[in-house]
Amino acid sequence: METFINQLFAGASLASILLMVALGLAIIYGAMGVINLAHGEFVMLGAYVTWALQTFLGIGLLPALPIVFLAIAAVGWGVERAVVSRLYRRPLDTILATWGIGIVLQQLVRIGIGPESRFIAGPGILSGNTGFGGVVLSNYRIFVLVFAIAIFAATWALMAKTEFGRKLRAVIQNREISECYGIRAEKVYAMTFAYGAGLAGLAGALISPLVNTTPSMGTYLVVDAFLVVVVGGVGSIFGTAVASGIVGETTAFFSMLLNDTVGRIAVLVAIILFIRFRPSGLFPQIVRR
Amino acid sequence: MIEARGLYSYYGKSPVLQNLTFDLNKGELLSVLGRNGVGKTTLMRSFMGLTDRLEGSLSFGGEEIAALRTADRAKLGIGYIPQGREIIPRFTVRENIVMGTWARRDGRRDMPDFVFELFPILKDFLDRRGGDLSGGQQQQLAIARALAMDPQMLILDEPTEGIQPNIVSQIHDVIVRLNREFGLTIVLVEQNVPFARRVSDRFIVMDKGRIVISGTGADLTDELAEKHLTF
Repeated sequence: METFINQLFAGASLASILLMVALGLAIIYGAMGVINLAHGEFVMLGAYVTWALQTFLGIGLLPALPIVFLAIAAVGWGVERAVVSRLYRRPLDTILATWGIGIVLQQLVRIGIGPESRFIAGPGILSGNTGFGGVVLSNYRIFVLVFAIAIFAATWALMAKTEFGRKLRAVIQNREISECYGIRAEKVYAMTFAYGAGLAGLAGALISPLVNTTPSMGTYLVVDAFLVVVVGGVGSIFGTAVASGIVGETTAFFSMLLNDTVGRIAVLVAIILFIRFRPSGLFPQIVRR
Repeated sequence: MIEARGLYSYYGKSPVLQNLTFDLNKGELLSVLGRNGVGKTTLMRSFMGLTDRLEGSLSFGGEEIAALRTADRAKLGIGYIPQGREIIPRFTVRENIVMGTWARRDGRRDMPDFVFELFPILKDFLDRRGGDLSGGQQQQLAIARALAMDPQMLILDEPTEGIQPNIVSQIHDVIVRLNREFGLTIVLVEQNVPFARRVSDRFIVMDKGRIVISGTGADLTDELAEKHLTF
C-alpha cells in the first residue's frame, strides 16, 4: 500500500512537470496551429536563467519565478515577431524554423555557458520531506504539483474569463471578422506565443533542482509534452491537464511494474494504440459551422 | 462620408476591382447591384482592407483609409456585416454582441438596449451559442454585433441571402429604420431590385470589376435591371 501511494505521488509529480511544459505547447498549437519545436529550449532557457539569477545575483528559486516568466516570455515574443509571424501561411515551415531556433538557442548556451551540467539549489523552506506513516513525500515536489495546478487554473481563467482570452478565441475561430471588430490579430498571436513561452520558462525553473540542467535538457521533455498534447486533444487545455495526469501516472506505474526502459516503451505503445482508435485525442473540439 | 477615386483592389497580382469612383454622403444609403462574381463582395472587403492591396484613393469621413489596417478601419466606425454572417459559432449570443464593442474607441463594453428593441429574439437567446441559431437569427445577431460598436456606417453584404421570407421583411424594415431613424450611412449589396429602388439614395451597378452605371434610387428602372442584372 505504501509503495502504491509513493508511486501514485511519483506519477503525479511527473504529471505536474509534464503539465507545465505541455500547457504552453498546447496553447501555442491550439491558438496558432504552430508546432513549436523550440519549446524544449524555452524550458532549458528558463532553467539557465534561474541558475544565472541564483549564481550571479543570489536570487533564490522562488523569487526568481516571476523574473524567469517575464524573461522567457520576452524571448518568445521576439521569436514570434522575428520568425513565426512571417510564416503563418506556411505552417509546415514553422516546424522547421522553430526547430532551427531550438538548435541555435541550444548551441548558444553550450558555447556561452558550457556543456556541463549546472547545479541549482531548491528553495530552503521547501527542503525536506513530509511523512505520513510509511509514505514519504518531498516537500518541493508537493510544491511543484500545487504550483502546476495553480498555473493551470490561472491559464484556464485567462482563456475563459478575460477579454484577452475572448479575443484570442475569436481570432482562433475567425481571424478576418475579428480584425473587422477592432482586434489586432498579430498582437494577440504575439502575446499568446509569449505567454506559452513564459510557461515553458516557469517549467524550466521549477524542474531545475530535480533534473540535470544541461543545454539539451529540453529535448526529451518536449517529446513527452507533445505526447500529452496529442493525447489530450489539440486546442483543449482541459484535455492537456487530464492527459498529463494519465501519461504521468502510466509512466510511473509501468516503470514500477517493469523497469524504466521497458516502462517507457509500454507507454509509447499504449499511446500509439490510443491514437489509432481516437485520432483527435481525449477532448476533440467539435464545431458546428 | 465615402469618397472613392480611381480605386483598384488586388488579390495577388489580379486587379479584381478597376478604377472605381463614387461618393456617398452622410446618412445616405448606397445599393451595390450586379450579377454574381462581378466584384460586389470584393468592394465590401476592400472597405475593410481584407483584400491584398488597394490602389487609388478611398476616404472615409475625410480620412484616407486605403493604407490603414483592418482593425483601425473598424475603430473609425465601419460596421461590417459580411456575406454568410460570420458570427463566432462557439461564442454565446452575448459574447458575439459584446465582440462588436471591441471596436469602440471609448472602451465601453455594454450591449446597447436598442439592439434588443430591433431584435427582441436575441434577448431570449443571450446564453445560446451563436452556431446553434438559425440563419435568420444569425443574421440578426451579425447586425446586432455591428450596432454594438456604435458605427458611423454599416456595410451589409446580401443580408437577406438564404433567409426565410418572414425574417427577410423584418431585416428589410430594420435596414430602413437604421437609415431613416438612426441616420446611419449604409452600403448595401442587394439582389432585390424593387427593395433597392425603394430604399436607396444612390446605387451603383457593377460588372467585371467596374462600375457600369450609377445614379439615384429613382433612376434604377426595370429596363436597367433587365439589362445588367438578369442572366
